[in-house]
Amino acid sequence: MEKLIIEPTANSPLIVLDPEMRNFEFSGESRPENVRKFYLPVLEWLEAYTASQESLQDDQRTSGLQCQFNFEYFNSTSAKYILDIFKSLNALHLLGLDLKIKWLYEEDDEDMLEVGQEMSRMSKLTFEYIIS
Amino acid sequence: MENKKAIIDFEGSISFETMEKLLNQLKSARQFNALRKPVRKRVYGTVVESIDNIFKYSAPVQGKVQILKRPPQIQVKEQEGKFIVSAGNLIQNDQVDDLRFKLNRINKMDDKALKLLYEEVINKEASDRDRGAGLGLITMALRTDENIRYHFDPAGPVHSYFTMHITIKE
Repeated sequence: MEKLIIEPTANSPLIVLDPEMRNFEFSGESRPENVRKFYLPVLEWLEAYTASQESLQDDQRTSGLQCQFNFEYFNSTSAKYILDIFKSLNALHLLGLDLKIKWLYEEDDEDMLEVGQEMSRMSKLTFEYIIS
Repeated sequence: MENKKAIIDFEGSISFETMEKLLNQLKSARQFNALRKPVRKRVYGTVVESIDNIFKYSAPVQGKVQILKRPPQIQVKEQEGKFIVSAGNLIQNDQVDDLRFKLNRINKMDDKALKLLYEEVINKEASDRDRGAGLGLITMALRTDENIRYHFDPAGPVHSYFTMHITIKE
């Protein structure tokens, strides 16, 4: 499947979904003018990727997928879509894909750490928390 | 008691471009940059959510006279070691009860209850999201140690002017 790369702007994050490199990455600030329009292609890509993995035999599925979330800031509307991304990742996890989810936060940014913990709990995925 | 000059004191029509300019103004302010990073991010996030809230609840444009009379406003000022973000905008009277209900509800909640409400609201379907289910208000409430202060001033038969103040400790 073709990789998806969305370049960052002052108000939207860098997004890299590259299955060949086994690398998913989200970083920067997220408060785009139209949050739904921004995240819809990402969610559609993940849905298509899940369908493509579903059609494979267990031993042919991608393994060791690195998913890195390094947000500087995201607004509450973005938070809803970011949770949807984690729910999509959970669908991949349930297919048996080995996901390594890293949630990066600055050393004293307890708010960002706490949001990560909430996202982990709500999506039922295990995160590794890393000080950036 | 020391009352410093406002970092942002804007009154007028607010577009996404205006928001970008106001956020740049905030980011270049000396008082803002002197804050510890977590506090800086709380102030920044509160300004973003306050402006988003204006976008969500602003009454539709119905005439230039009315708009010039009560334009939206956003202010960020430092007062006695606290940062106060104030936002105001004209809303339709039929939105007052809903907004008052949401604000009263979150002001009565402790952090645990707010987190439960956050989870309930963030998991709502997309159709509910677009109407503005109040996640921004809950997020702001989680980032402040004080209640969100607010009031509604009557502004004619159809509208009220809604103002809210969020305080963030340094």
